[in-house]
Amino acid sequence: MASNKKYWKSVEELKKSSSIVEKLKQNEFVEEIPTDKFLGDKENLTASSTSRRDFLKYLGFSTAVASLAACEGPVIKSIPYVVKPDDVTPGTADFYATTMADGFDFANILVKVREGRPIKIEPNKDVSTGITNARVQASVLSLYDENRLKGPKANGKDTTWKKFDAEVVSKLNEIKNAGGKLVFLTNTCASPSIGKLIKTYGEEFGNVQHVVYDSVSESAALDAMKEMYGVRALPDYDFSKADLIVSIGADFLGDWQGGGFAPGYTKGRVPKDGKMSYHVQIESNMSLTGGNADKRIIVKPSGQINALLKLYKAVVNGISTRESSELNTLIDQIVKAGKRAVVVTGIQDKNAQLLALAINKKLQSEALDTVNTRNVRFGNDAKVKQLIADMNAGKVSALFMSNVNPVYSLPASADFKEALKKVKLSVDFTMSNDETAQVSQYVAAIPHFLESWGDVMIKKGQYSLVQPTIKPLFDTRQFQCSLLKWLGKKETFYDFLKSNWNNNILAGKSWNKALHDGVFTKEFEVPEFTSTVDVNAAAKELASIKGGKLELSVYTKAGLGDGQQANNPWLQELPDPITRTSWDNYLLISRVDAERLGLKNWTVDNGALNGDKVNISANGVSIKDIPVYIQPGQAPGSVALALGYGRTGLQKEMNVGVNAYPFADKFFHDIKIVKSPGEHEFACVQLQHTIMGREGEITRETTLAEYISKPKEEWNPKPVYSLDHQEVTEDKVDLWDKFDDSIGTKFNMSIDLATCTGCAACVVACHAENNVPVVGKHEIRVSRDMHWLRIDRYYSSDMTVEKGKEEGTFGTGEYFDEMTHPSDAPEVSFQPVMCQHCNHAPCETVCPVAATSHGRQGQNMMAYNRCIGTRYCANNCPYKVRRFNWFKYFNNDEFDYNMNNDLGRMVLNPDVVVRSRGVMEKCSLCIQKTQATILTAKKEGRPVRDGEFETACSSACPSNAIVFGDINDKSTEVSKKEEDDRTFRLLEFVGTKPNVFYHLKVKNKKEA
Amino acid sequence: MQSSTLKRLLTGLSFLFIFSLSLNAQQGNAENGKKLFNTHCAACHKLDKRFVGPPLKGITKTKEREWLHLWIKDNASLIKSGDKEANAIFEEYNKIPMTPFPQLSETDIDDILAYTDDNPVGGANAAVQVDPALAAKGKGLFQTHCAACHKLEGKLVGPGLGNVSDKRSKEWLHAWIKDNAALRSTGDKDAIAIFEEYNKIPMTAFPQLSEEDIDAILAYTTAGMIKPAETTSTEAAEIPVATTKPLSTAWISYTLVLVLFIILLWLLLYSKNGFLKISAVILVLLVSAYVLFDNLMGVGLDQGYQPIQPIAFSHKIHAGDNKIDCEYCHSSAKNSKTSGIPSVNVCMNCHKSISEYTGKVASAEEKAFYDNEIHKIYDAIGWDPEKAAYIENYQVKPIKWNRIHNLPDFVYYNHSQHVTVAGQKCQTCHGPVEEMDEVYQYSPLTMRWCIDCHKETEVDLKGNDYYAKIHEQLAKERGLEKVTIADLGGKECGKCHY
Repeated sequence: MASNKKYWKSVEELKKSSSIVEKLKQNEFVEEIPTDKFLGDKENLTASSTSRRDFLKYLGFSTAVASLAACEGPVIKSIPYVVKPDDVTPGTADFYATTMADGFDFANILVKVREGRPIKIEPNKDVSTGITNARVQASVLSLYDENRLKGPKANGKDTTWKKFDAEVVSKLNEIKNAGGKLVFLTNTCASPSIGKLIKTYGEEFGNVQHVVYDSVSESAALDAMKEMYGVRALPDYDFSKADLIVSIGADFLGDWQGGGFAPGYTKGRVPKDGKMSYHVQIESNMSLTGGNADKRIIVKPSGQINALLKLYKAVVNGISTRESSELNTLIDQIVKAGKRAVVVTGIQDKNAQLLALAINKKLQSEALDTVNTRNVRFGNDAKVKQLIADMNAGKVSALFMSNVNPVYSLPASADFKEALKKVKLSVDFTMSNDETAQVSQYVAAIPHFLESWGDVMIKKGQYSLVQPTIKPLFDTRQFQCSLLKWLGKKETFYDFLKSNWNNNILAGKSWNKALHDGVFTKEFEVPEFTSTVDVNAAAKELASIKGGKLELSVYTKAGLGDGQQANNPWLQELPDPITRTSWDNYLLISRVDAERLGLKNWTVDNGALNGDKVNISANGVSIKDIPVYIQPGQAPGSVALALGYGRTGLQKEMNVGVNAYPFADKFFHDIKIVKSPGEHEFACVQLQHTIMGREGEITRETTLAEYISKPKEEWNPKPVYSLDHQEVTEDKVDLWDKFDDSIGTKFNMSIDLATCTGCAACVVACHAENNVPVVGKHEIRVSRDMHWLRIDRYYSSDMTVEKGKEEGTFGTGEYFDEMTHPSDAPEVSFQPVMCQHCNHAPCETVCPVAATSHGRQGQNMMAYNRCIGTRYCANNCPYKVRRFNWFKYFNNDEFDYNMNNDLGRMVLNPDVVVRSRGVMEKCSLCIQKTQATILTAKKEGRPVRDGEFETACSSACPSNAIVFGDINDKSTEVSKKEEDDRTFRLLEFVGTKPNVFYHLKVKNKKEA
Repeated sequence: MQSSTLKRLLTGLSFLFIFSLSLNAQQGNAENGKKLFNTHCAACHKLDKRFVGPPLKGITKTKEREWLHLWIKDNASLIKSGDKEANAIFEEYNKIPMTPFPQLSETDIDDILAYTDDNPVGGANAAVQVDPALAAKGKGLFQTHCAACHKLEGKLVGPGLGNVSDKRSKEWLHAWIKDNAALRSTGDKDAIAIFEEYNKIPMTAFPQLSEEDIDAILAYTTAGMIKPAETTSTEAAEIPVATTKPLSTAWISYTLVLVLFIILLWLLLYSKNGFLKISAVILVLLVSAYVLFDNLMGVGLDQGYQPIQPIAFSHKIHAGDNKIDCEYCHSSAKNSKTSGIPSVNVCMNCHKSISEYTGKVASAEEKAFYDNEIHKIYDAIGWDPEKAAYIENYQVKPIKWNRIHNLPDFVYYNHSQHVTVAGQKCQTCHGPVEEMDEVYQYSPLTMRWCIDCHKETEVDLKGNDYYAKIHEQLAKERGLEKVTIADLGGKECGKCHY
């Protein structure tokens, strides 16, 4: 496509002559083997007590011992069940429908259970809320977390439930008799049964209050909805019904208002009959949504407010100004699109949310749905503030906290901690001994959601059930069970739940069916409501917010989210989709500000990224030694810091980053920033696995205009070769002979770059399915990450260094003139890359032991037990998708992650071998899944149906960007996809004939 | 077995004849007395031992007949009357009064006393009157109709039926077996008592059984109780095993090797022929290389591995003698990756009623050994064979079997693929398990062994719709009718290694 476009992954590549980039182009492994360090030291060598002869003796001896020891095999015990449960057949998997609802992520899921162990989470695709993101996928590992609480605690000491109950009940009675107040502080549970339970408490106890608290609050949007539509719930947006999507700082492909908007959004991103949606993102820091946008308008947080005000005035009041041409064009487009437009905003201010709702109301936007509201956030900032005040005033006698961690996540954490001391009885229901548990009198250990019963209403009228998939691993008890017990009720929570459903929800329908489906839908009535809110006054109030010199806003990352699952190594190791950095949070800053403040990022000689550190302060809070990450596309004058990091009391490897919650109370803070001494080491994979300088050719995109008007050959050209001085197509030149693979199944995978949002759910799904090890921060730094599937993020712009020079727009020196630097406003493309399963695979021909070979089903197979670790294959792979096991990553204290303890190993997929040290591994196209599907079909004596073949990534993908299937069967979806005009293969000119193909991204550039 | 039973029965019959002769001389009918004794007295009295009450054997020798009549009919009034003997007994047996039996007629009591006087203890020989042919027929009927709920000895679902005709009258039993509900509805006390005792679980009615059939069954319940006379002759064990040692051929090869070795030594030390010397050295090197290679290739090969298992479970008895289908116990083989070691509850399906080994044994010790092995299952799951019930709150003890067939982790093997799809017999890989007392690894389980089979075995493409399209393509386009697994990709690395 646009041939003058320059793609790059790291700013390093934009430098004129970067030795590191040069080195990486030539070398797969950045670091030379440090033989000199060892052998060069003559003195040390001669002084060594082990001579060469001795060494050979030891070697001989150990070989002999090893081979002798190998003669005697170990005795392996097989222990069957004593009484086998009827529904368990060892060796086969069962799936149970349940629901994840941890207050931050809500999803209807299916849990794969093997021999009684949940090992994998799949989306429940029968439900619209059956969408899994990276955190939902990874939640199964949080079940097997060694760091979990293993029993109840009283005043910091382990106790028994019997004692615990007796003490709490007696204190409760005291408080009740004294007329004290009991407050429930919970996360958004959206659970009808918990609601009923707390109501029962109100009846029994009298003075009871329920305060809902979200660590990442949507209080502003909720309050706005209450004033505008009379319901305190979040509206739903169906972006597939919008031709024009305007987002002002709303990361709706990330976690904005609970997330889950990707399926609707991506539906409009594939050009159909020459049409696709147009997406404008007005934002400060580069978000996932901004990366997917057609147009990004880069403004500071205060600029977002201004933009919203202007949109409001123009669209609702009809007043337009002549200030910014970009905005004025947008306003025209919005007015033109009318009800096919939608405006959303992530500005955490009730007035801003009111304005956005008013705009949509005025437009009669079809995408906005205020009837089928979403219950994923209920938190009320004002009530939480009031609670702290009440606690301080001694008005609260008892506080029950469930699934919240206010000491960590409240901006006013210190106040809360002080106030908690004045509460007579504080009980924390939590899974881990977190910051709040450490200061609570009583800590009730609760089970993981995969061990619990429960119910959730994610969307209005859509009731979901939570069912346990494993017996509780520890001596834990559900919040609900404790409440029932303390009420003196004999019934179990299961009975309570079931009777509540039978009496109030199911209306005669089958409980078992609801449990099987995991969800039950019911019609509901919509009450009439007339709004009396004065939006113009809200606009006036909003306009009074003053901007700052350097504005700090907080955001959540695809990996850690609000930080609940911070002890989950899969999530810690997941590279952020935009910065490609794992195991950290950092202050995102623009190039301009960095230069002004003398802050730098630099790549050290082993390819890893280092950076300066700063101290920041605002609002009376200061945080020290935050690493700085220079983010292309960051608005000058703005910085951003991710939430969810800086937890305490986690395993030491996961204690990374700084806590940004002190800054989460406002949309932005004006901060002071001072460089601090020292440097920070990032675990950033952006320069790793480079493709020998072929980045420019690897990804493809085009504009809608070109896509419609020009022939395919122009925007998606096939490679041509020169043969006998003639230009010929690929099929005329080939190093390898063709082979017949037309019989039976042949797998192909299709990846649509137009619908891939880069959310990284697939990366974690692959981790879980294929027993991919976690290697830790240091190993990531030195390019030894083990992800079988990576999502490359490319920046691009029409501006190149050369072009800039020609046009004379660039200044001198290493960096260039402010606004024309390519990294100031780059476009972003995401590209998931896994093994391409080449039909003519370069890796296969160089393996000296034939450990990697080709199967007729199209899969490039890797026989781990045959591999001797020469790494020739990785060297010869044009896509750099092979991963080498540098170490033994299981049962090794150096890698103290889930594979180093019995509990964490329970998550391993028994159908996939855990690779040992010294072998190469890579994506297998989930051959264990395809083989299982084929076997099921054979057993049932039928052909495989379309859609049955799935890989972990294709099934996890929320936007259906990854489609997998049989290409020999012309009726399958993947076969149809292959015939699409947008189809291309990675580095097609290399002639590898991959079985994975891509669809190029189409950007809707209105101006172009 | 059968002939010896017959013999024993015949001997028994002749004994009976002699007995019946002597019986006739007695006062009262000992035959009827036995029944009466069993129904009225046996709850508290035994013949030869003190029980709740005193032993009653030969009681007429120590007590007067009239006194006995009085005592049995109403011992309380006898005690009250100040009868010394009566009071002494009353005191001796802790003042537990005996139940009075006013309903017994004089003749009844005489019959009982006749029985206590000269009966054979244990009543083992009482069964001798049973017609062996009838008993044999009865055995068959018992197995088909009764054995699901009854054993001869010990409770199962219903009571043990050994010598039941000693406890109940023939008429009652006939009525009960044919339609016990009807019997109960007549208000028969015994019938109701039994019904209550067994938790009100009604017994199946057997209206289809003829009088003759029931007689046969009853005959069996008596005959089946005859313990095989304890043969002291350990005939089977003592017969010297007639093993003729096969003539060993090993010595030939040893001699050959020795001769060769001497020749080589001679060549190296004394021969002056350079060529021969070099050839000899090369030969020695080649042979040692071969031996070394051969040995190394055997490392990790466990063919023939036969560990001692925690329970001496015999596949020969189960799969061979009793012809239990492999998949009855290894039920997941057809559905799952693993064949599944049966859980203890599967064992209990049969072993609830089979608590001892009844097959052929050479000695009492051997039977005791087998019985003990069966009891290990009970120990694992917590079954009380006496009460025929699971022990409540029992801490189960899982059985830790030693794994025999063990593929390395990097090999994926799926049983259902081979059993259900390919229709392979278990024996193809596991060998004649039905002949193995202790199972051993029959096949080498090497990759070569797998691949060889995949190369040779033809896939039946017909009859499975999964292959329909493949078959069509192969048959029409390639003219191929027969394909092996390898032809369909069964030799590819990734099919088993992932």
